[in-house]
Amino acid sequence: MKKIGIYPGCCFQGADIHNYDITTQFLEHMGVEGVLLDRAACCGGGVIDETNKKIVYGLNARNIALAEEKGVDLYTPCNTCYMIIAKTKLALDSDPELKKKINEILAEEGLEYKGTAKIYHTLNLIRDFVGLDEYKKKIKRQISGVKVAPYYGCHVLAPNEVAIDDPENPTILKEVLEPLGVEVVEGYKDEDTCCGYHARFTEPEQKERLAIKPLDGAKEAGADIVATPCPLCHKAMDGYDEPILQVTQLINVACGSTPEEAGINLNKTEVKLSL
Amino acid sequence: MKKIKYTARIKRYNPEEDRSYYQDFEVEVEDSLTVLELLMYIKDKIDPTLTFRAFCRSAICGSCAMIINNRAGLACKIQAKDKIKNGVIKIEPLKTLKPIRDLVVDQEPAFEKLKKIKPYLEPDPKVVPDNLKSESLVLPEEFARYDKQTDCILCMACYGQCNALKGDSEYLGPFQLTKVFRFIMDTRDGVDVEERIKLAEDHGIWECVQCQMCFAACPKGISSCDDILELRRIAKDVGEENIATRRAKFWFATVFETGQIDKLHLPEVAFSDEKGKKIRENMEKEFKQRGLREDEFGPKPFEGIEKFRNFIKKIEKEL
Ligand code: SF4
Ligand code: SF4
Ligand code: FES
Repeated sequence: MKKIGIYPGCCFQGADIHNYDITTQFLEHMGVEGVLLDRAACCGGGVIDETNKKIVYGLNARNIALAEEKGVDLYTPCNTCYMIIAKTKLALDSDPELKKKINEILAEEGLEYKGTAKIYHTLNLIRDFVGLDEYKKKIKRQISGVKVAPYYGCHVLAPNEVAIDDPENPTILKEVLEPLGVEVVEGYKDEDTCCGYHARFTEPEQKERLAIKPLDGAKEAGADIVATPCPLCHKAMDGYDEPILQVTQLINVACGSTPEEAGINLNKTEVKLSL
Repeated sequence: MKKIKYTARIKRYNPEEDRSYYQDFEVEVEDSLTVLELLMYIKDKIDPTLTFRAFCRSAICGSCAMIINNRAGLACKIQAKDKIKNGVIKIEPLKTLKPIRDLVVDQEPAFEKLKKIKPYLEPDPKVVPDNLKSESLVLPEEFARYDKQTDCILCMACYGQCNALKGDSEYLGPFQLTKVFRFIMDTRDGVDVEERIKLAEDHGIWECVQCQMCFAACPKGISSCDDILELRRIAKDVGEENIATRRAKFWFATVFETGQIDKLHLPEVAFSDEKGKKIRENMEKEFKQRGLREDEFGPKPFEGIEKFRNFIKKIEKEL
């Protein structure tokens, strides 16, 4: 069985602990063995930069090195973790001096950043690690009669250097959703507006103003549910009128998990799926 | 030279009727055109009323920013053929500014915001000599701290798709905040850092959602989102006490302690009021209902945490 390193970010913790089960369940359905990178640390979350941005490089060089130590690639379902870790990888791979200095410090923990591990997020994991054809074979039942609005979130499409698909006209989310039997509703108002998650503790009202926009747009376009790959977008946008789920939750259900196992009952805004 | 056929789908705005609409232009042109040259071709050969703003044609004057295939950029810098998707190239005016006609937007509100942040240097008499004979020296390593930021050509591509502006139309904007950072870093500037930070705070740094769209848009590779994080760091370091700086301090402290942010206590520390406490109590109640053990409520240090802490200390000191 193919193996992949599961990077534990804050989306697996506390109130969001079920995201870990959703993730391991998803990997199981995909026939991929998940190896927990148990000594991995926070990616910085776009917050540790406010202490010292060099620490962010250090943290993520170390996170990737932990995957390389185990001989696996690194997988995170979180858009933000993905973007920050992938950005660090780019910086390290293009700056031998930075890589050398960090490696000298990493050596004390017996670690080395080599640059061999790839960084995966759910969407490119399905496309490039599992393969779309293999993915389709894993689907056991159709979630029919549901209109789903894909919502990418920002950090899988920007910055361009780490975008997992064509950032101008992405199609991967649609390609992942369609085989589940749902009807995909694209081109709705504010589909590319940010969920506001990262303003939750800097300007909470800003988050409130933004989170509702894509939801309203999707509702107006007739979607029953919004589906995002990102656990942070999910957290920011759950609790309003229009329900939102993580793509992996829908995949898990289509691959045979019960809605309860897929954590769908934990949603603040109730979701009904017809199976 | 090779000719190619495609459709230019242009979002137009007619101020007389206050009406926006898309118009398709079928073209057969050389494959070497920039988006700007494509627009000039259409204006010249098909519809002389098509209106857009441009001047230098070499990515320096900052006049021609627009949304090309859903992303902001300079029309004179982008090759049209790279942007054709299914035979169509979509061209629209910047999103967060009001159109005047077709692709020309009213830049005034964004310039007004720029004026608010004192976008100029007030010479520090301790550094800048008061006569014209002696020079004011800036060391290369000093200039390197804001070199990139001085490349800004005020094209407003970043502003034109900024998410913070979608939430608050009074948000200062990415290039304006980059400007604040640029002057704080300038060794010759005499304005107090505290004053510059205050200017960046009003509808400013705390409203940014770190979406990275400004960086993705900038033709000069300027990362306003990173400059904003630096401004937040400086705000914290000059003693600013608010929900965001409390969150930043707590975030680092708990990551240093355990490797992970303690999300259970974060709201309480950040809000630092009854509301934050209530959030924690509710979370604890919910966890118990869900059958979580108390030791699963928050992060615990992983094995070898001492080595991790040493690593962080060394990175801080030596990198
Ligand atoms: S990162 Fe901040 S400043 Fe840049 S586009 Fe997003 S919200 Fe605007
Ligand atoms: S920061 Fe970049 S995108 Fe923004 S105005 Fe300046 S040059 Fe244009
Ligand atoms: S015409 Fe001057 S920047 Fe494009």
